[in-house]
Amino acid sequence: MTVLEADAVSATEEIADLRRRLAEAQAAHADEVRRNQAFSRIAAAIGAHQSLGETVQAVIDGGVELIGAQFGAFFYNVVDEAGESYMLYGLAGAPPEAFSDFPMPRKTAIFAPTFDGTGVVRSDDVTADPRYGQNAPRKGMPEGHLPVRSYLAAPVKTSDGLVLGGLFFGHREPGRFDARAETVIVGLAAQAAVAIEWSRAGQAGDRELTERRRTEERLKFALDSGRLGSWELDVETRAYDASDICKSNYGRTADEDFGFDDLVATIHSSDRARMLAAMDEAIRTGGDYDIEYRVVIPSGETRWVHARGRAAVRDETPVIGGVRRMAGVSLDVTERKRAEERQRLLLNELNHRVKNTLVTVQSMAAQTLRAADDLDAFREAFEARLIALSQTHNLLTEQNWESASLREIVDAELEAFAGRERLDFDYDRDLRLNPKATVAVGMAVHELATNAAKYGALSTPEGRVSIAWTIAPPEAPGRLVLRWTERDGPAVNAPTRRGFGARLLEKGLAGELSGVVRLTYDQSGLVCAMTLPLAALEP
Amino acid sequence: MKTLAALKVLVVEDEALVSMLVEDMLGDLGCEVVGPAAEIEEALRLAGSAEIDAALLDVNLGGRPIFPVADALKARGVPFAFASGYGEAGLTEPHKGSPVLQKPFREADLRRVLEGLAAQVA
Repeated sequence: MTVLEADAVSATEEIADLRRRLAEAQAAHADEVRRNQAFSRIAAAIGAHQSLGETVQAVIDGGVELIGAQFGAFFYNVVDEAGESYMLYGLAGAPPEAFSDFPMPRKTAIFAPTFDGTGVVRSDDVTADPRYGQNAPRKGMPEGHLPVRSYLAAPVKTSDGLVLGGLFFGHREPGRFDARAETVIVGLAAQAAVAIEWSRAGQAGDRELTERRRTEERLKFALDSGRLGSWELDVETRAYDASDICKSNYGRTADEDFGFDDLVATIHSSDRARMLAAMDEAIRTGGDYDIEYRVVIPSGETRWVHARGRAAVRDETPVIGGVRRMAGVSLDVTERKRAEERQRLLLNELNHRVKNTLVTVQSMAAQTLRAADDLDAFREAFEARLIALSQTHNLLTEQNWESASLREIVDAELEAFAGRERLDFDYDRDLRLNPKATVAVGMAVHELATNAAKYGALSTPEGRVSIAWTIAPPEAPGRLVLRWTERDGPAVNAPTRRGFGARLLEKGLAGELSGVVRLTYDQSGLVCAMTLPLAALEP
Repeated sequence: MKTLAALKVLVVEDEALVSMLVEDMLGDLGCEVVGPAAEIEEALRLAGSAEIDAALLDVNLGGRPIFPVADALKARGVPFAFASGYGEAGLTEPHKGSPVLQKPFREADLRRVLEGLAAQVA
């Protein structure tokens, strides 16, 4: 071989070598380009804040591409809204059906390092790995499983060590994953962890946002349906922002301006100082503002508003007592206030009536006791008087305690003493009496009836009583003239001592109703003549 | 300072049964009853001119408040007490602090109030 020949051989070899090295470099470059593309796709997927599923899929696809795996899978834990934990998975290089018939991977010896997050498992032939096939019942891959020999698995952990899941790659042929592939997958697992964390944080944020929006909607609904206005006050600038309902609580329409000065001016002058003091106090102490005050709305009507609020610090440069802002609600409570006032008046009136009735009963007891010869007589007379009083109350209650008819009063009091056939009524028209007159006349008729039953016309079967009245006769204008006349009874004599009945009639009834009551002990029977001013009788 | 005996007490009360009770109690205490007046006009007339040492006033006289009568008595320097089912709550502001007999009351309560009034009588 000549030098030239040798040179030629050498050159040929050199060219071949160069070509080989060029091809290698080109392959390495292509590999690098592919890997970079895969990485950038993964990064893009992560950066796009896609859903968890999409992010996971990008990671698996990228992993398969980067290390030339035939299959890739990612098993990861998710926690649903009910707090239940379960496992999902993503696949590459195999249809989902390839796994859908199998149970989720358990923490068997071969999987443990991945799910415990203790380290990477790389095997040139997983079926030969001492950790493989150790666990009952299957002792290896279930029948029909993807035929995996080369195996590479890495845990996906957060920076603080929480295992989110595991990345698994496989190949039918043994010895396909080298140390470089392991490095790539460890890096990918770290990226996947970040992506999943971001995705979860994003979901949590979305949930929070949705929840906040719902809460706001609920609040608005509550405010609207409860006619609850809302307001906000800037403590420093006194800028006051009122909702439409808040404005309407102060008699303003939605399009009217309503500032803090307008608010203060609308508050009833007697309540203004109290309102301002309460607001100052809340601002000074940072406490709650809770006040009811009257407002005089532009129409001149006075209404009641309940305002509540709370001071809130808005920024780091507190102005007064650390408070920059107050926010609160306002409610028109006029109806409630009116109802409360009505109730208060009613209770007062009821209390007054009860107390008055008690004094009346006290008086009856005392008078009856003075006149009674013994306790039996006291009891009989007292009970009868108590029932007479009760009758007048019944009549008044039927008429809302406004009035009672004179005829009904007389009927009610006489009922217990005489049948209708022994009574003669004579009058042109009935008369309605006010509550006070009802009780007074009722008790007077009771005393007359009791006396008649004991000593007068109603004490014998033949006796009769006539009750006659005229309203404003010519001889007594503006007066009721009522005459109780007993006849056909025993002869009567004026009593030796003036009893309770006579006193009540002549002095009490006359005094109370500013009239004149005269008792005449006529031979034919007792006559009681009452002349009472209608002004004192009518409701 | 006067004792209750022969103390002339104006009674203003519009309910017959109640004024009868008060009259009897005052009689038991040895007092002399002036009235009773059941109407505001009559009460004003007696408060202004009758010979009285003290007065017992029902707060509500047929729906009309008694306070003009109280003012007239005050002007004359006649000590008085209110009798009311409302208690002190039924009094207007200038009269809060005046003695009040809450209805119903015992004779001993009336005596105590009257002794307080008698102590003010010169």
